[in-house]
Amino acid sequence: MRIFRLLPALAVAVALASPAAFAKDWTKVVIATEGAYMPYNGHSPDGKLIGFEIDLGNNLCARLKIACEWVSQDWDGIIPGLTAGKYDAIMDGMSITAKRLEVLAFTRNYTRAPTVFAVQKDGPLANLPDDGLNVSLDDKTAMDAAVKALTPALKGKVVGAQIATIQADMLNTYFKGIVDIRTYKTTEEHDLDLMAGRIDAALAATSYFVSTLARPGGDKLKLVGPHFTGGLLGLGTGIGFRKSDPELKTMFDKALNEALADGTIKKLSLQWFKTDISPPS
Amino acid sequence: MASYFTLIGFGPTGWGWQLVLATWMTLSVSASAFATGLVFGTAGAWAKLSRSRAARRAGDLYTTVMRGIPDLLVVYLFYFGGSEVLTSTARLFGQGGFWGLNSFMAGTLAVGIVSGAYQTEAIRGAYHAIPRGEIEAARAVGMPSLLMLRRIIAPRVLRFALPAMGNVWQSVLKESALISVTGLAEILREIHIGAGSTSRPFDFYLTGFALYLLLTTLSGVAFRGAESWTLRGERRA
Repeated sequence: MRIFRLLPALAVAVALASPAAFAKDWTKVVIATEGAYMPYNGHSPDGKLIGFEIDLGNNLCARLKIACEWVSQDWDGIIPGLTAGKYDAIMDGMSITAKRLEVLAFTRNYTRAPTVFAVQKDGPLANLPDDGLNVSLDDKTAMDAAVKALTPALKGKVVGAQIATIQADMLNTYFKGIVDIRTYKTTEEHDLDLMAGRIDAALAATSYFVSTLARPGGDKLKLVGPHFTGGLLGLGTGIGFRKSDPELKTMFDKALNEALADGTIKKLSLQWFKTDISPPS
Repeated sequence: MASYFTLIGFGPTGWGWQLVLATWMTLSVSASAFATGLVFGTAGAWAKLSRSRAARRAGDLYTTVMRGIPDLLVVYLFYFGGSEVLTSTARLFGQGGFWGLNSFMAGTLAVGIVSGAYQTEAIRGAYHAIPRGEIEAARAVGMPSLLMLRRIIAPRVLRFALPAMGNVWQSVLKESALISVTGLAEILREIHIGAGSTSRPFDFYLTGFALYLLLTTLSGVAFRGAESWTLRGERRA
């Protein structure tokens, strides 16, 4: 019996320990981001969150007249943290994919950057065929032709991608057995290995590689080969919610459409990415 | 491009203060985990040395399981699994919304319980190192067992367990890096944030390396000091 008298005390202790206990009337939304994926999101030296998604998210919350609180969370646990209820939304350069749609509700896309190979300028893959060609994974004949054209050059080469990303999926689906696939915990790690020459190419979004090319040693790299979009690469990045909160999706879809229509997304994209990766409305 | 010292310095564009805070966070989460482990370790050692068969079994189960599974899994279990259990328990009592341990508490508990298993063995080993004659002498003069625990066993165990405890502390310091997966801004997480935000991974990883080395070296010195302090008055062979 004594244990039951202890339970309220325990509940109070737990309530004090949990920062995110709140009512569900959406006057406030807690958004999680990695805070280490520039230019999408990152930290300034004084510990504040900065980046494209932080500006966009705050803009959307202002349109919706709700308060937004940001938490920074490691990418590894970002989806489990959402489903466990630690926060309400994810804005972390997260692509909308069929697999993720099984567990999350997504808004419309707010960026759509193609996926591309990065290689060393003087490396063996510097002249990959189909350079700059737009290839949609939805178009089976085009994709088959692209894989066929790339195969002789890529055969036996080592290609890196971040684990549990659409790029890793793309390598596993289309290039398994052709290239030696290395997966990394973070995109930076494959960049480091690419610069060190431990891998021959890295596969990621053009929007991400913008920052790679700008960093020390990035001048030795270049982007080559086709620009891949569609199919399992998804529809670009969107805001992810729990499936049990459809009203959040409706609210943010409306705000995103407004931000896209009045040019806010394009403006922020040019500011942070130096290139327009806003999606076609 | 900013120089290395501007980057990690304390100027307006330097990450110095963030790194100091992160180091402080690593120290506090490690100290809390170590203290938690001491509670579990003492209980575990008591169970393993107990005359009760059931207690010995429970103690064995605890050390076998906790030393046999990856620590990262325990962190995930507490951080993500813990909030699921708490939220559904809260619902049973008519409390909606989200309930969970924050990353500091979940991390402290996870690393603490794992280190408790190692501390159990350190304490148990130290108990066995007490010369039987000392305990027999205490009994012979009619010392009650609580007094014997306080005057003979506890001080002797503390002295014998100290070197092994130093090792456990070093591993707790390093395992605290696992808590970075919960987003707690300790050294590893802050280094990752800095590297991702500035595109200077090498500089930040090197700094992290140095910070951990600094902490482990300083605690090595502290434990050696404590060891020679406990050995004062001991005859040297």
